[in-house]
Amino acid sequence: MAKLVEIIGVTHSPNFPGLIAEANPEPAIVQAAEDYESMKKRMAGFTPDLLVVIASDHLNQFFMDNMPPFLIGKAPRAEGPFAHEVRTFGIAPYRAEIDVGSAKSLLRLGSKLGVDFAFSDEFRLDHAFTVPLNFIRPEMDLPIVPIFTNVMAPPIPPAQRFYEVGKAIRRMIDEMPSEKRVGVISSGHLAIEIGGPKEGRSSSDPEFDQRMMDLIGRGETETVIEEATWDRMMAAGNVTPGFSNFVLLMGLADGKAPDTSGVRFPKSKGSVPYMAWDIEARVLP
Amino acid sequence: MSRYQVDKVMRQVIVDEKALSAFQADPEKFLQGRDLTEEERKALINVDYATLYRLGAHPFLLNGFTPRAWKGDRAALRAEYRKKIAPFGYPDFAT
Repeated sequence: MAKLVEIIGVTHSPNFPGLIAEANPEPAIVQAAEDYESMKKRMAGFTPDLLVVIASDHLNQFFMDNMPPFLIGKAPRAEGPFAHEVRTFGIAPYRAEIDVGSAKSLLRLGSKLGVDFAFSDEFRLDHAFTVPLNFIRPEMDLPIVPIFTNVMAPPIPPAQRFYEVGKAIRRMIDEMPSEKRVGVISSGHLAIEIGGPKEGRSSSDPEFDQRMMDLIGRGETETVIEEATWDRMMAAGNVTPGFSNFVLLMGLADGKAPDTSGVRFPKSKGSVPYMAWDIEARVLP
Repeated sequence: MSRYQVDKVMRQVIVDEKALSAFQADPEKFLQGRDLTEEERKALINVDYATLYRLGAHPFLLNGFTPRAWKGDRAALRAEYRKKIAPFGYPDFAT
C-alpha cells in the first residue's frame, strides 16, 4: 500500500516569484522566501517518489461550459503555465511526468470512497500548479498526479465538502496498490480581491488571514469549516474561496494541527501562508 | 441577461492572442451571432467595465479582459477602475 509521508500547503501567487527576485525585497518577502525554502527541504527530507498536487485552474481551461468541481489529470505528461500567464507575470515553466497508474488508481478508489472525480487526458497546469511546484520541487524529477479543484466559478463546493474530499484522498492514498511514498502539495491563498473595489497590493482582509491561520495552526477544523462560508470568504475578498484548498489539506491531515504553519504579511502583495504536516514522522516510533 | 456569454468573450480575449487581435480589430464582428443583450454587447464593444461589472461579469475575468482590450491610457485605467466600480458593490457573478 502507498504511504502518505508529507503534506505541504503554500500560496500560488504569480507575483510572488517576481517579488523574491527583486533587488531589495521587503523583509516580509525575504522571510516568506525562507519559509518556502524550508518547505522545499521538508518535502525533500521525506523522500517522496510521487507528488499529488492539488490546485485550481483559473478559468483558463475548465470553464462554465463544463465545470468539474474535482478533477484528476491522467495524461502521460503535464506542463504549464499558459502563454498569457507567462506574458503577464514572467513566471517559470514546469514540466512533469504524470504517474498515470496512480492517477487511475485514485480515480477508481474515489468512486469507492465517495468522490466521483472527473478526469482529463488533455490539459495544462496553470500558475496554481507551476508556482508551488517550482518552489517545492524545482528539480522537476518526480512524477505527479494533478487534482484540479473549482474555486473560481460559483457554486463552488462548501468548505465541508473540501474537507471530506481531503479525508477521502487520504484513504485513497492509503489504499493505492503500490509502495509509493506520496507527498502532497496544495496551493491556495488567503484573502484576496481581484477585479473588485477592494483590490490593492496587500491582503484585502488581514484579520481573516490571521484568524484562519491561527485556527489551522491549532487544528480547529470544525471552526474553520463553520467560519469559511462563501459569504465570509467573499466579504474577505472576491477570490478568497481559493482558501478552500487548505481546508482540503486539513481533511488529508485527518483534522490534526500541522507540525508547522505561519503567515507573512508583505505590503507589496497578499498574505503568504505556509503549512506542513509531517505525516510519516507521526507514525514512526 | 447572458453572463455566461459575456464571461466567454472575456476569457477568449485573455487566453487567445488571435481572439484579442480580432476583438481589437473589429469588436462588432467578433461579437456577431453571440447571444448577448444589447446592453452587454455595447458594454463589451466600448470596454465599459463598470457596466460589465454591474451586470455580474466575473471579476477575475474582467480584471484580465479590461486592460487587454483597453484602447486608452492604461495608467488612467488603473487609477479609475476601482472608483468606477465601487458604487455597484458586489454583484452576483454566478452564471
